[in-house]
Amino acid sequence: MITPGFDELIHAPTRLSLVAFLAATGWADFAVLRDNLGLSDSALSKQLTTLADAGYIEIRKAFAGKRPRTSARLTAAGRTAFDRHVLALQEIVAGTAGRWPLPAGHPGIGEDGHGQGAPDAAIRLSRRSPCRMLAAGSDYQARHPADPARS
Amino acid sequence: MNDQIEPADAARALSEIGRRREQVIRRTAVPPWFWWASAVLTIALVADIESQRGALFWAGIALYTAGTLAINGLMHRAVRGAPLRPDLDARSFPRVLAGAAALVAVVFGVGLATKLSLEAAGVPYPGMIASAVAMAALVAGGQMLMRYRTAFLVRQSGGRG
Repeated sequence: MITPGFDELIHAPTRLSLVAFLAATGWADFAVLRDNLGLSDSALSKQLTTLADAGYIEIRKAFAGKRPRTSARLTAAGRTAFDRHVLALQEIVAGTAGRWPLPAGHPGIGEDGHGQGAPDAAIRLSRRSPCRMLAAGSDYQARHPADPARS
Repeated sequence: MNDQIEPADAARALSEIGRRREQVIRRTAVPPWFWWASAVLTIALVADIESQRGALFWAGIALYTAGTLAINGLMHRAVRGAPLRPDLDARSFPRVLAGAAALVAVVFGVGLATKLSLEAAGVPYPGMIASAVAMAALVAGGQMLMRYRTAFLVRQSGGRG
């Protein structure tokens, strides 16, 4: 049974998008990740390296003809960490767990030192069903444009 | 300083995770252009067969074969870049297979019934007209099938990592 576990490495917005994308795929091509996540080559390389160093993803380099082709996929450890992180997020939303610490410099902390809240309706909706947050149209990336690890 | 994750921030993160999962599911669906391209190629093939013009007939067959291989290759190349996780794909496979079988039966049924009716009425080019009707069913049904697959997978995978 998987227990909740907040993962600071995964929670950074760009990495969260990347890991969430990889969690739904097998091997994913570098170009597909770059285009679908809207990242530059260098930003994606940096994030992939960070995740690979943590043992969360494996990177495969191959050649398609003369062209190099890089792919990535989640490792078993990465998938477990992601599943635990999702459970931790669900617990936070449901209010059944204590608050989790924000990573230093996380954009979720506003200038006043407090977390940046969402409209009450969004919180109520998320408490009823986290999945329905899709329908609420919340855009995590749009609200977190200043990910320090993105550049 | 408040150094805790707010429920709203966690909810936004969950929303982003759901959005990315849906993005993968959508990009692995058969794209609408594929159904249109298949329809155009099939109608052209039937017109070619029905016109019965010696050398042009074989050129038409060659073009149809090349076109079919090209659109299938393009579609598979797009999906291969980031295929859906096998266990997710397996969940929808029986339903999509049943839906595809039903679609093929409808397309053939509609096409055959239309052709026989047109032939009985003495309408010229019954095959071409019937194939156009059948392909309209293919385009509409194919897109409906993919929408169903996407909705099913999004629903099935909701809330899971």
